[in-house]
Amino acid sequence: MDQRLSVLVEDLTTSGEPQLDPEKMKELKKICKSSEEQLRHAYHLLMTQLTQEHAEVRLSAFQVVAALFTRSHQFRLLVVSNFQEFLELTLGTDHEQPLPPPREVAQKLRRAAIQAVEAWNEKFGEAYKKLALGYHFLRHNKQVDFQDINARTLAERKREAEKQRRLDSIYRERAKQAGAEMEEMSEEVRSCLTEVESCFQLLVPFDFATSPGVPGEDAFPSTSLCPAAPGLQDEELPCCSKDLPAFPLPLQADDGSGDLSDEEQDEFVRSHGLGSHKYMLGLELHPGDVVLQETEDNRAVVHSARDALKLIRNKFLPSVCSWVQLFTRAGIHDQRLRRAIELKTELEAAVRKYKELNIKPQEGPGRLTTFLEDGSEDEEEEFVEVPEKEGYEPHIPDHLRTEYGLDPPAAPVQILKKDPPEGLVAQGVHLRTRTRRDEEASDPTSAAAQLRLLRDRLPPPASTSSSQEPDEAQKLAAERARAPVVPFGVDLCYWGQEQPVTGKILKADSQHRFWKPSEVDEEVDNADVSEMLRSRHITFAGRFEPVQHRCRALRPDGRLCERQDRLKCPFHGKIVPRDDQGQPLNPEDRAREQRQQLQRQTEHPDWQDPEFMRDVEAAAGVDLGSSRCSGKGKGKGKKRKYPNLTDLKKQADTARARIGKKVFDKAAVRRVVTAMNQMDQKKHEKFANQFNYALN
Amino acid sequence: MLGFLSARQAGLDDPLHLRRAESTRRVLGLELNKDRDVERIHGSGVNTLDIEPVEGRYMLSGGSDGVIVLYDLENSSRQPYYTCKAVCSVGRSHPDVHKYSVETVQWYPHDTGMFTSSSFDKTLKIWDTNTLQTADVFHFEETVYSHHMSPVATKHCLVAVGTRGPKVQLCDLKSGSCSHILQGHRQEILAVSWSPRYEFILATARSGKSRQRRYKFNVINYLKRVNYGKICNDSRKGLKFTVSCGCSSEFVFVPYGSTIAVYTVYSGEQITMLKGHYKSVDCCVFQPNFQELYSGSRDCNILAWIPALYEPVPDDNEATAKSQLNPAFEDAWSSSDEEG
Repeated sequence: MDQRLSVLVEDLTTSGEPQLDPEKMKELKKICKSSEEQLRHAYHLLMTQLTQEHAEVRLSAFQVVAALFTRSHQFRLLVVSNFQEFLELTLGTDHEQPLPPPREVAQKLRRAAIQAVEAWNEKFGEAYKKLALGYHFLRHNKQVDFQDINARTLAERKREAEKQRRLDSIYRERAKQAGAEMEEMSEEVRSCLTEVESCFQLLVPFDFATSPGVPGEDAFPSTSLCPAAPGLQDEELPCCSKDLPAFPLPLQADDGSGDLSDEEQDEFVRSHGLGSHKYMLGLELHPGDVVLQETEDNRAVVHSARDALKLIRNKFLPSVCSWVQLFTRAGIHDQRLRRAIELKTELEAAVRKYKELNIKPQEGPGRLTTFLEDGSEDEEEEFVEVPEKEGYEPHIPDHLRTEYGLDPPAAPVQILKKDPPEGLVAQGVHLRTRTRRDEEASDPTSAAAQLRLLRDRLPPPASTSSSQEPDEAQKLAAERARAPVVPFGVDLCYWGQEQPVTGKILKADSQHRFWKPSEVDEEVDNADVSEMLRSRHITFAGRFEPVQHRCRALRPDGRLCERQDRLKCPFHGKIVPRDDQGQPLNPEDRAREQRQQLQRQTEHPDWQDPEFMRDVEAAAGVDLGSSRCSGKGKGKGKKRKYPNLTDLKKQADTARARIGKKVFDKAAVRRVVTAMNQMDQKKHEKFANQFNYALN
Repeated sequence: MLGFLSARQAGLDDPLHLRRAESTRRVLGLELNKDRDVERIHGSGVNTLDIEPVEGRYMLSGGSDGVIVLYDLENSSRQPYYTCKAVCSVGRSHPDVHKYSVETVQWYPHDTGMFTSSSFDKTLKIWDTNTLQTADVFHFEETVYSHHMSPVATKHCLVAVGTRGPKVQLCDLKSGSCSHILQGHRQEILAVSWSPRYEFILATARSGKSRQRRYKFNVINYLKRVNYGKICNDSRKGLKFTVSCGCSSEFVFVPYGSTIAVYTVYSGEQITMLKGHYKSVDCCVFQPNFQELYSGSRDCNILAWIPALYEPVPDDNEATAKSQLNPAFEDAWSSSDEEG
C-alpha cells in the first residue's frame, strides 16, 4: 500500500500534464480515505514534491493537495499547520525563493493557488485560524489582489503602473511636439494643397471632384448605351481628345431615330455625310482610360502638379500620418486630432486624384528624368536618381558588344599608324591592346583620346597595309599574334637605339679656382648601366600546377577523404596512393596505418574522461561518444527520469544561449585571453625602454 | 489533574504543587486558538510587547512605524470568543508620537499610570497612561536599542538605556537626567536588563556574542550559563524573548525566524516550535496569570497563544458529538467507493 501510494504520488506529480489523471487520482483518494496514516504519508510525499524545483511538478502536487484539502479535515490540519511553507512553495511569497521555471506554468500555479486560498478561506477560514491568518497576511501584507487575474503583487503592479506612466508622459510630450509641428506646417500644407488643386483645375476644367464616384464598372458599360452618354461626356471630353466636339450628336441621332420622319432622317444623314442612319456607334470606355496627355501647353502645370504631389507624398503625408498616430496614442481627441485627420484625408484625396488623372508623359525627346518618372508613378520611390553613366552608354566598347547582345563591329582592317614615340610599342601590340586603347579613347582625359584627336587633325597617312601583299600581311598578322606581350619598360624605350649618353658616368670637373684634381677621365663608360637600359629581368617562378590527386583516406562515415593537399593531408597524414577502399597500396604504409589506429584506440586523450564526457552529454543532450570510449562502462545512463516534464535545461536553447555557448566556450575564452595578453605585451615592448613601463 | 486535586483536598500536597503542575501543563499546551484574537491596529511590524506586572491585564505594543497601542487582555464578555480590544493608541497623528520605529516599551513596574518607550529617533519617552501624553523625554546621541527599569528596585528609579554607542546610560526618573554612564562595551548595546532579584545588577549584551557584563554594586550574582544552541537572528536588532513564570521547570520562548522556539530554561532542551507567523517574529511576552503568550511579528500581527482546552470526551453517541463540532471539521469524502 505504501509503495503504491508513493508510486501514485510520483506518477501524478511528474506527469507534466496540466490536469491530473482522474483514474490515478481516484485511486489515491481511496488510499487516503482508508486511514489517517496513509493520509499523513501522502501529505509528506506531496510536500516533498512541492519542494521540487520544477513548476510543473509543483503544479500537479498542488492540484493533488487542493483535491485532498477539500476532502479531509486531517489533511487540512496538516496543510494549515505548515501553511507558511505551503504559501512559499506555491505562491512564491518569499522573494528569496521565487517559483521555479518554466515561467508560464509557474504563473498558472500562482493563479491556481491564489484562487484556492481564497476559496479555502471562504469555506474553512473560520475553523482554521492559521488559514485565516495566512489569507489576511496575503491580503494586507503582500497586498495580493485576489480579483486580479494575474495575481500580481503590489510591487509588480506598481512597476507596471510606473512604466505606463512614463510611456504616457513620453507620448504626451511627443504629441505636444507634433502639435507644434502641425501648427508650423499646416500653412505650408495648405498652400501646397491649393497649388495642386489649382493645377487640377487648370488641367481638368470641369469639376473633377464629383467624378471619383462615377468611375466604376457599372457606370461604364463596355458597349455604348445612349442614356449613359451625358454622364460620360464629362469624363470623355477633356481626356481623350478635344477634337471630338460633335460627339453627342450621333448619339442624339441614334436616340431619336424612331421619331424622325424620313425626310428629316435623310436630311440628317445627308447633312452629316453619313450613308445611313442605321449606324451604331460603339463606345468603349474603361475607367482607367482617363488619360491626360502632357503637351507643350500644359507642361508647366503638369510639372508643378507633379512636384507638389511629390512633396505631398514624400513629406507631408508621412508626417501627417505620424501626427495622427501620435495623437491617438497620447489619447488626445480634440481639435488637433480632427485637424490632422482632415489634412490627411485631403492629402490622400489629392494623391488619388492625381492617380486618376493618369497623366501621360510627353513623348519624343523628353528629358530622361521625365521618362523615368512617368509611366510608373507608383514605383517612383523605388527609382533613385543616378548619374547618367550608369544606365546609358553612348559608346559600347567593342569587346563588350557581345555582352550587350550586339553584333560585333566590322572587323578592324586598319591598323592604326602609331606616332614615332608609340611606334616601338605598336610593334608588339596585340589586338586586345588596341581595343583597350579604343576604350581609353572614349575617355577625354586619357592619352589615347589626345592621340586620336591628333590623328584626326593630321592628314591620313599612306596606308601601309594596302601597299603590302596580302599573304605578307597575313604572315605579319600571324607573327603579331604569336609575339609575346610585355609591359612597357626602359628596354623598350631604348629599343634598337644606340645611346651614346646613357651608360656613361660624367664626372664634373672641379669648379675650384686654384685647386684642380689630377687629370681624370671625364667620362666613364659603364657597361653595366648601359646593359641595364637594354635588358630586362624576367623572374621565372614556374607555372602553378593544380593538385590532381586526392587524399582518399577512409573517413569514419565510410567515404573517402576529398582533400587535395599537395603532400600531406592535415587529417590523414602523408598522402600515399590508395585503392578504392581507402587502403594504402603499399604494404608498409598499410602496416603503419594499422599500428597508428591501434595506438589511438588504446589511449584516450585526457579530456575524454568517460565521467566528464557523460556529464557533458547530459548537459548538452548530444551523444559525444562517451559510451564508445568506455569499453565496460555502464552504458549510456538513464534516459530521462520523467520524460513528460518540460526539460528545464533544454529550454536554454535560445539564440542567446547558443551564442553564449560559442562566446564563453573555454577555447574561445582562452584565445581571447592570449590575444589580449599579446596586445599587452606589445605595448610593453613598445615602451620597454621607459623604465616605468619596463618594470611591470 | 484529578490526582492533584484529591491530594490537595486531603492536604497532602503543597498548594504550589498543583499550581505548578497545572501551569506547566498549560504552557506545554500553548497553541494558536481561534477563540482569541488581538485587534489589528499596527500597519507595520510589531517590535515590542509588554504586559503590566500589576494586574497582567494591559499590554503595550510598539510598532516599527512609531505607533504604540495599549490592549486590554481581559475577557469580560463571558464568551469563549474574545478579541483583545485596543484601549487607546499613540497613532501617527498624535503630537508626541515617536518619529521612527519604537524599539522597546515598558510599563512602570509598580503602577499602570506610567510607561516608558524608546525609539530609533534617539529618544526615551516617559508617558502618562491616563492622559496619554509624554511626561518626560530623554534625548540621546545615538539611536536607542533598548531600555529597562528594574522590576524590583525600590531605592532607585533608574532606567538603563542601551544605544548604538558603546556606553550604557542610566537615566534617573526622579531628577530627569542621566546620572551614570557605564563603559565596558566596544560596540552597540542591543539589550539591557536589570536583575529580577537584586536591585543593583544590570546585564547588558550585544546580540550573538554571549558577552555579559555584570555591573555590580554590592552583590555578586551567580549566573548559570546554559547553551541554548544557535538562535537565528538575521535582523540587526535585539530579539525580545520571555520566560514563563510559575511552572515547575520554567520555559523560555525565543523568537526563531517566523516561529517561536520553546526551550526549558535549565537544560536548554528544545520542547517545541510555535508556528503561526508569516514573517519573522520580533518579540513575545508571557502572561503569567493565565499562562498565555503573546507574540508580535513583522507581518503586523499580534498572535495570542492560548493553552489548549481539554478535548471534549467523545460521548457514547458519536452523532451528537459530531454535530456539535464545527462543520468545517467534517471530512468530505464522497460516499461511494467508485467516486473515491
